Amino acid sequence: MIEVEHLRKTFGANVAVDDVSFTARPGRVFGLLGPNGAGKSTTIGSLCGLVRPDGGSARLCGRDVTAGASAREGLGLVPQDLALYEELTAPENLRFFGAAQGLRGAELERRVAQVLARVGLADRAKEPVSRYSGGMKRRLNFACGVVHGPRVLLLDEPTVGIDPQSRVALLDLVREEAAVGSTVLYTTHYMEEAEALCDDLAIVDHGRVIASGTLDELRARVGERDLLHLDGTFDGDAVRAAFAALESLADVEVVGADAELVALAAPRANERLPELFAVVQGAGGTIRATTLRRPSLENLFIELTGREYRE
Amino acid sequence: MSAPMPSRSFLSSAWLVAWHDLRLNLRQKETLLWTFLMPALFFWFIGTVTSGFGGADAGPSIALRSGADAGFIEGELAARLTDGGATVVYPDDDPEGTAFEDYRRRIELPEHLTERVLSGESVALTFRRREAGLGASLDAFTVRRATYGVLADLITLAATGAEINAASMQALRTQERALKVEVSTAGNLERVPSGFQQAVPGTMVMFTLVVLLTSGASILIGERKSGALLRLAAAPIPRGSVVLGKWFGNLMLGGIQVSFAVLLGTFAFGVQWGPEPLALAAVLAAYAGMIAAIAILLGNLARSEGQAVGLAVVAGNVLGALGGCWWPIEVTPKAMQSLAMFLPTGWTMDALHRLMAFGQPAVSVVPHVAGMTLATLLCGWLAAKTFRFA
Repeated sequence: MIEVEHLRKTFGANVAVDDVSFTARPGRVFGLLGPNGAGKSTTIGSLCGLVRPDGGSARLCGRDVTAGASAREGLGLVPQDLALYEELTAPENLRFFGAAQGLRGAELERRVAQVLARVGLADRAKEPVSRYSGGMKRRLNFACGVVHGPRVLLLDEPTVGIDPQSRVALLDLVREEAAVGSTVLYTTHYMEEAEALCDDLAIVDHGRVIASGTLDELRARVGERDLLHLDGTFDGDAVRAAFAALESLADVEVVGADAELVALAAPRANERLPELFAVVQGAGGTIRATTLRRPSLENLFIELTGREYRE
Repeated sequence: MSAPMPSRSFLSSAWLVAWHDLRLNLRQKETLLWTFLMPALFFWFIGTVTSGFGGADAGPSIALRSGADAGFIEGELAARLTDGGATVVYPDDDPEGTAFEDYRRRIELPEHLTERVLSGESVALTFRRREAGLGASLDAFTVRRATYGVLADLITLAATGAEINAASMQALRTQERALKVEVSTAGNLERVPSGFQQAVPGTMVMFTLVVLLTSGASILIGERKSGALLRLAAAPIPRGSVVLGKWFGNLMLGGIQVSFAVLLGTFAFGVQWGPEPLALAAVLAAYAGMIAAIAILLGNLARSEGQAVGLAVVAGNVLGALGGCWWPIEVTPKAMQSLAMFLPTGWTMDALHRLMAFGQPAVSVVPHVAGMTLATLLCGWLAAKTFRFA
């Protein structure tokens, strides 16, 4: 289990993590979702002892992460970068990282062979990693993080720059880890990946958790509302006032409105476009382009922040 | 998921990191090239071109030119110069060889030398030498001693009324003297090493510096860049174990390089390492340990592998030159010799010269070993302080 309470970390004037709290449970995949720079990697760094938090606490299986090296027993990490020795073979990489986790002798060899077969690299075991394709390296990168059978597995955006086929394979491997009882913390900035993989989620932005819960709970927060983006020239205040004045459009929320963009959240917006356009144009707006989005985590992010989700 | 494995001990973790780093280093073609092949080439090349450098082992060649009818005194003078350690050559007898004027040391004898000396006439012998300095003074001394020896024997023969000729002069020269002055050095003779005796240890010290700095720092920076260190940060290994392991891995690489150089120097180039092998090993181990610690520091401070390699190569060349790796520091001006004692290469070469060339006891290098050990601790502490996983 991972328990994070009121975690805070600053780098100079920059608040990287601000009062972040969440709990990740065994047998489930917990997604930490947010754009680049949201504080996900700093949170991961705090959990693996790399970053010392300024405040709050973080516990892995009940042990405080600041308690020293022993707190990291049973922890596995799959970093965003390919943390591999390219001159070595896959088994040599696995042996080293397995040994660093405390595996020895026959148990180490057994685990290396097992995980190598699991990620489909057994037939390329004698080649140096430098000869592997990008997808194979990604799989080995994952294997090095799980060779010791971790109780807590941290994955820091492990699918960045990966081809679709390898991504699917990797997500399956992550699910398998959770299925055997590991606590999995998965950070990503891909919304669709989080929706497909995670049982529980925390959406972070600018170092803060802006929403958390199970996937279903978060979807429920979005409701059945579509998100309509209008690009053009607008008077934001006039648009807000126009919608506020119409009782017939009380279920339409103006999520954002400025000189160039109006964002509206509305049920069945696809069926009500003429009506919505008329209100905006009546408020002096000129519409040049429209985008309609179905309910999703991305919509939730936009609703919560009033901004486009930026990857 | 499996039950968590018990963590390794501090030293066991350090050994894991050290052994891994050593294996990784020995897989790098560049490391192999600069650890084994290039030093061997440099030993041979520099050792060959500097053989006789300093002129201490071979006697100086003195070119002798005589005027007409120089007589037996010419031969007597040449014999005494030879007894004094010089090699007398007669360029005028070999028109195909080096010209008389091209020799650095030249003696010219006037015409009718013997006849004029025996008649009591004052004659001048001309000795020329190209460079000044201690070597020139020694040469002048050698020539004067030979000349005074001839004069003294002439006076002796004249005083005893004996006939003065080549035979009587030779007989007197080889005769047991009634009074002999035994000359010995007050301490051990300090013969400045040259040829392979200088080139092999000098190149070894310089290349150890370059290889340990480049490979140690490069691996560290590469691991940090790839995220491999981040993985170690997430493992139940104390930070101190990782730093100690990094240092010891470098030290082992240095040990391999130094051992190879010593064996190659001994069996291929006939280098004599002196009668104190343990003291020699202590000096080299202290040196490698210090450079291994500096390598980690460099790996922490450099921003890229390119920067680390560049700094290491510059440091290797500058410290090699100023520390006496390229030439014996003893032949350089006093200021340079003083400067060398502020440099790690200078400490090491000084200690090696003491043990290998100057016949000094093991205790004479204790300050060197102690100094380098202290420097290792200081650099190691700084390396640990500045070490970062990402």
